[in-house]
Amino acid sequence: MKRINQFTRNSMLNNYNIVMLNLFQHLFIANIHYARFRNKFGMTFFDRIERRAFKTIMLVLLWSTLSAAQFQLPKYENYILENGLTLYLMEQHEVPLIYISAIFPAGAVWDENKSGLAAFTADALLFGTKNYTKKQIEETFDFLGASISSHARKETAEITISFKKSDLDKVLPIFVDVITNPTFPQVEFDKRKKRWLIELEQAKESPRRVIGSYFDKFIFGGNVYGNPVSGSNSSIEDLNREDLPGFFGMHYRISKLGVAVVGDFSTGEMKNKIESMFPRTPSLEQLNLIIDVNKDINEFEKSNVLLIDKDDSRETTFLIGSYGVAWNNKDITQIQVINTIFGGRFTSWLNDELRVNSGLTYGARSRFTNYKSAGTFYISSFTANKTTIEAIDLALEVLDRLHTEGVDEATLTSAKNYIKGQFPPRYETSGELADLLTTMYFYGLDDSYINDFEKHVDEMTVEKANEIIARYFPKENLQFVLVGKADEIRDKVKKYGEVTEKAIEEDGF
Amino acid sequence: MKQLIIIFFFAEIILPQTRVEDINTFTLENGMKIIVLEDHSIPNANMYLFWKVGSRNEYPGITGLSHFFEHMMFNGSKKYGPKMFDRTMEANGGANNAYTSENVTVYTDWFPTSAIDVIFDLEADRIANLQFDDKMIESERGVVLSERSTGLENRPLWQLWEQVQGAAFFAHPYQIPVIGYESDIKNWTKEDLQTYFATYYSPNNCVVVIVGDVTINEVKSLTEKYFEPIAVGPPPRKIHTVEPEQNGERRVDVKRNVPSPYVMLAHHVPQTNSEDYYALSLLESILSSGKTSRLYSSLIDERQLAIEVSTDYSYAFDPYIFTIYGICSKGITPAHLEAAIIAELDNVIKEGVTGEELQKVKNQKLMEFYHTMETINGKANTIGNYELFFGDYKKLFSAPQDFAKVTAEDIQRVAAKYFIKKNRTVGILMAEEVEQ
Repeated sequence: MKRINQFTRNSMLNNYNIVMLNLFQHLFIANIHYARFRNKFGMTFFDRIERRAFKTIMLVLLWSTLSAAQFQLPKYENYILENGLTLYLMEQHEVPLIYISAIFPAGAVWDENKSGLAAFTADALLFGTKNYTKKQIEETFDFLGASISSHARKETAEITISFKKSDLDKVLPIFVDVITNPTFPQVEFDKRKKRWLIELEQAKESPRRVIGSYFDKFIFGGNVYGNPVSGSNSSIEDLNREDLPGFFGMHYRISKLGVAVVGDFSTGEMKNKIESMFPRTPSLEQLNLIIDVNKDINEFEKSNVLLIDKDDSRETTFLIGSYGVAWNNKDITQIQVINTIFGGRFTSWLNDELRVNSGLTYGARSRFTNYKSAGTFYISSFTANKTTIEAIDLALEVLDRLHTEGVDEATLTSAKNYIKGQFPPRYETSGELADLLTTMYFYGLDDSYINDFEKHVDEMTVEKANEIIARYFPKENLQFVLVGKADEIRDKVKKYGEVTEKAIEEDGF
Repeated sequence: MKQLIIIFFFAEIILPQTRVEDINTFTLENGMKIIVLEDHSIPNANMYLFWKVGSRNEYPGITGLSHFFEHMMFNGSKKYGPKMFDRTMEANGGANNAYTSENVTVYTDWFPTSAIDVIFDLEADRIANLQFDDKMIESERGVVLSERSTGLENRPLWQLWEQVQGAAFFAHPYQIPVIGYESDIKNWTKEDLQTYFATYYSPNNCVVVIVGDVTINEVKSLTEKYFEPIAVGPPPRKIHTVEPEQNGERRVDVKRNVPSPYVMLAHHVPQTNSEDYYALSLLESILSSGKTSRLYSSLIDERQLAIEVSTDYSYAFDPYIFTIYGICSKGITPAHLEAAIIAELDNVIKEGVTGEELQKVKNQKLMEFYHTMETINGKANTIGNYELFFGDYKKLFSAPQDFAKVTAEDIQRVAAKYFIKKNRTVGILMAEEVEQ
């Protein structure tokens, strides 16, 4: 089922902060996944010697891509049902499949003192419901070749299904029951908890899988955005079955639910069907849930280093960064253009210096992660123990160059073409469109996020680009998280800031 | 149940949007085969170049060279010097990647259709005129060493896989890990690369698949302009080594500081274009696809002996291995998990599989087919794989029927034929202190 023995030119490292419930999701790298992730890549760097040659080529070749058809969001209908559910219906008839994606504001930011509870609850929706046992759910979906998955992220819980259109009436009632009537049976809770604890231990075998959680905790401290999605050994150990229905009752409210259906169906029929299957009335008690998303978010006054000691490491995995921006930032698309140049594509400045020019690593990149009320920015890479300092210094030098030299016209044009050229395949399948609609729902984005994407890219000038750099790309008081063999790097990393050291075996992040 | 199965069987044969007759193929004078599928759903297209070379073509001293070569294909040719391949492509809105397996090296370009001319120019230049810059070779050597190291650092399974594969094959070059041995990565020379290029990168050793917002005529004239003039080289030497039949279990132990032991079982099976492929592929799904699959439901869910189980049955030109692995639950010894996996295999051999189970995995195969056909990349990759490994891309379209023909008896027969002790290699990876 999975490819163990295939090697790809680029691996993706930019998923540090998306912790799937299945911690093993990223164990293998099959190339077909790359096709999707590559779209998030960024831009080009060229050193002085080659700049002139490059410009000439660009003049000849670039005009054509600029005239490419602008990608627009396909037509869809949007309703708010009587019970408060927000429904999106988008017909797509290329293959006889339907995708449904549901989103609740029920992610790890709501964990409170039970770290991992949101993730565990989302996982446990599939353990059985009022009308279907776990076995019935699994057998129905497996037999039809359909799929169902449920997981929590930092801010949301998402339940998705896909199936042949002819199987709609077999799977829809189960889907609705899963998100409205889960029963959280004790026996399944116990089994999953046992497995969860080992998965947490295993995850720490792979620096790449846990460094994102260390980073978020280090950046956000006591703020809810620092909550590790999968929890820690001690917090999962402390979870009880009763915690799950409690969390479910509080956070899985129909009035907060967004559902997107995309695929081969007719809108009128689908609307009636969905409407008839969910409870008619909103939940009785309208709780006003508030978390302080701004708690403890203050500008850093100095650089700090978190050194995670993993004694058997042969390489150092590192993230360098700070706060980023929230989803509602008006410059979000233009920030992506600059990030494309800096660390978001194969020829990005970071990858060019750390990989292509120096051979220090297999990959280096940068990423903005956006949440509803906050965000992070980080540079990520890894290198052999003995080249740790060389690689980090080089990454800092590239960041410094971004600020001191800025970008020029040719670089910007290349980045614009790249980001526009790679945009349409991001929303090629019904599944991708369903995810997009629920994302837009949760983050309050309107159609212009997609429809004006190219316009926002095109509007960018060199002047504006350099403003974006100065405003949004961290420059000072950077935060460093390193996972590696502390004995070999402890003294040398002191120059980056005040060092805090932890053993990787220590509980949590 | 019988009735239900019949209904499903007919419901399944829905023709997908893409039909076999939508695909066009032609062969250039230099022997390069071109496969084109028009798909105008998005204003993008792709080009997949499948080269029939992989670690299967290597030998001690140059292990890993196919994969290293794949990296070098991006490092400069006559017209587009070092770095210019990526820069030009990305500046024109395109992106690329490439992968290497034991059998093939595949280059993938994804681009807005308006950039198609540039893409052809870039590909033609590196195929016809690849150059080897000493500085680029050295920095790329560092990149590949880092790729090897990061794989081992982050994935214990890699380490086990290398050892099991090496033990399962003692004659055939499938014993060589695709990434290569560290000492070879450090020591191969520019001359090795030049020889490799001359030997394997002749246009008649390549199949090109183009899918997307293009027209057949456009592709035809572009391939004639850019690819047809590329000179033909001598055909590469055939791989004639046949792995001798295994007649006794082999075992490997690997020590690594992991919290839970890993168990891996590999059995020799025939190559992809053999008649047993469809039965083995369905058996693979029965064992590991979904939560109701035999290994998941028994070992993870019901008995909690493992936290993860999976299988690998990859495409291969020559007889290969069918691999099963699992990670032990707390307190479960690898011997215990190994015995439980083998008991599941024995159960298939003795009792067979049920009609419902068989229908389930056939339904799953059909859904996989639809998912593949949803994207232009899925289409291109799958068409190319079928052309190479099944000998004809048309087999992709008959796959639903070929799977439908497999009976429960076929599944039992292939299980009994291949999943036997003397055909097995077992690998265990665990920490030293856990050893009993």
